[in-house]
Amino acid sequence: MAKEAVRVLVTGAAGQIGYALVPMIARGVMLGPEQPVVLHMLDIPPAAEALNGVKMELVDAAFPLLRGILATIDVVEACTGVNIAVMVGGFPRKEGMERKDVMSKNVSIYKAQAAALEKHAAPNCKVLIVANPANTNALILKEFAPSIPTRNISCLTRLDHNRALGQIAERLNVHVSDVKNVIIWGNHSSTQYPDVNHASILTKDGEKPVRGLIADDKWLNSEFITTVQQRGAAIIKARKLSSALSAASAACDHIHDWVLGTRQGTWVSMGVYSDGSYGVPAGLIYSFPVTCEKGEWSIVQGLKIDEFSRTKLDATANELAEEKSLAYSCL
Amino acid sequence: MLHLARVFSSPFSLLLIFSHCVLNPRNFSPIAVSAVMAMDPVRVLVTGAAGQIGYALVPMVARGAMLGPDQPVILHMLDIPPAAEALEGVKMELIDAAFPLLKGVVATTDVVAACTGVNVAVMVGGFPRKEGMERKDVMSKNVSIYKSQASALEKHAAANCKVLVVANPANTNALILKEFAPSIPEKNITCLTRLDHNRALGQISERLKVHVSDVRNVIIWGNHSSTQYPDVSHATVKTQGGEKPARELVANVEWLQGEFIQTVQQRGAAIIKARKLSSALSAASSACDHIRDWVLGTPEGTWVSMGVYSDGSYNVPAGLIYSFPVTCRDGEWSIVQGLTIDEFSRKKLDATAEELTEEKALAYSCLS
Repeated sequence: MAKEAVRVLVTGAAGQIGYALVPMIARGVMLGPEQPVVLHMLDIPPAAEALNGVKMELVDAAFPLLRGILATIDVVEACTGVNIAVMVGGFPRKEGMERKDVMSKNVSIYKAQAAALEKHAAPNCKVLIVANPANTNALILKEFAPSIPTRNISCLTRLDHNRALGQIAERLNVHVSDVKNVIIWGNHSSTQYPDVNHASILTKDGEKPVRGLIADDKWLNSEFITTVQQRGAAIIKARKLSSALSAASAACDHIHDWVLGTRQGTWVSMGVYSDGSYGVPAGLIYSFPVTCEKGEWSIVQGLKIDEFSRTKLDATANELAEEKSLAYSCL
Repeated sequence: MLHLARVFSSPFSLLLIFSHCVLNPRNFSPIAVSAVMAMDPVRVLVTGAAGQIGYALVPMVARGAMLGPDQPVILHMLDIPPAAEALEGVKMELIDAAFPLLKGVVATTDVVAACTGVNVAVMVGGFPRKEGMERKDVMSKNVSIYKSQASALEKHAAANCKVLVVANPANTNALILKEFAPSIPEKNITCLTRLDHNRALGQISERLKVHVSDVRNVIIWGNHSSTQYPDVSHATVKTQGGEKPARELVANVEWLQGEFIQTVQQRGAAIIKARKLSSALSAASSACDHIRDWVLGTPEGTWVSMGVYSDGSYNVPAGLIYSFPVTCRDGEWSIVQGLTIDEFSRKKLDATAEELTEEKALAYSCLS
């Protein structure tokens, strides 16, 4: 193995998403089949034994790319030297909890983890927040880790992006790999806007616009949107557990494309720090269409935003601005 | 890629192509064409797919961990009616993950639909042991399950379907399946001991503080149970000075013949104690390794462990599904011959063979 190992941190690693995610990382799904990795897994003390069980299983799987495993409840140890941090750990909403309560707990967590990452992670560490409220947790982390470049802090909307691709593929009875360039705008919540105005399908006659092929604006402007927005709830209803498999897979896709680049002519969706593009207020972590090259993302510019879309983009921005206020009021 | 074509070709290959078109639940629209479709998809069945191992396994299959990064797959997922909604949830998540290699998903409680046209069958579903159950009760339930699934596979799977039994008691479930699917070539019916094999590699690498990929040629002999014999007599470790025998480097016969063996034998229980759930991640990963090496071949100079139909090699009674060291080439496994078996090992090989013989008798008594 000629290459030096990359250190990948997964917080909340003893949980469901962590359990789905770590074998994917260890197999090279996140960083490619030739890239050795060292896994850092963090969880809270009540989960220490379970976390050790996960470490044991990783040893038992004899993964050729997995060059080391650190399983710890110590956040400093967990963050030390990491090149990539996938923050899955967070306080889940429990029955009877108000939005403010969930927000309050998560704000504390992300403030503390921000400090540890900033001090101990490797320079240029790339951060992906998965735990909800993802966008706002990412914003808190950014605020309390000022020496981590803003461009290195992102949140996961790739799951929603992949879900949107899947819905289009199912509707048109095509392979999902032939669909591209959907966009998820905004918050990883029920106000997200899955937008197909610039999406296309690879046909035997070349790339064709999705809207034209589907030829059902009513569906695209309503049921399609709500299906993608509410997919998380649909999975919980069916499985009695939330999406772990697809969330983990999307997290790998997010990091993979960020680090290794998006394909020519293809963009993906990432929650990133807004610079005011598309009339979205600056200073929010907002999901945009991005391309990635040489380890950096860039917002795709110049896409037309129609009136219907404008309303949606603004609504989700408003929700994020409210969440930001709520988060700050908890501090 | 040619390799796989050889592995799955048969006199019925034309039929397979037609059956693929007819039975594919998504008859692809003529407007669509796939950018990367050089290879025909392989149909992989996972039974018990709504459970823990299934949930870990299906994304691995969909990402190419089982058959390689260029091999499209169609997943067939089977579970029992009480798990139908959960199974549908797994199907939804597979769609949501937008896997480029995943060309179709069949989620069903109907064993015939599940088995139809499958090229690879990973049997994870089985009746778990519950508190208070006797060994005979567990055996009895699983014998019924594997008898009926044998029948469905035999009738409906693609020709030359490769079968891996994971559900415990794995070796005996595989034997039952073989007995009741006589037209499935017995060389195509195996059980999983790759998990134990990988666990043994892991323990040696931890002991020697080396990368696990530098350790090879451990052997798991016998039953996927606590009588399995993890044998490092022929295992080697890659060092700067070349391949060295693991035995020499460990330099602790007491450990190798005592604690090491027990640790590997009892690892499943250790995982349950830590996680409060049994090994899903590592079992799923090993199932992928088992199939991948079977189909795509073992690396030069390396063997793996597979539970296969004994031909009497190493004085193991013929007619049992017993774990042996094997190499794989062109889609076929062969038992590594000519390895010296010392006295200590001989006893271990025999003990696990005896247990398998007893299990076989118990299983047959459940049938009458």
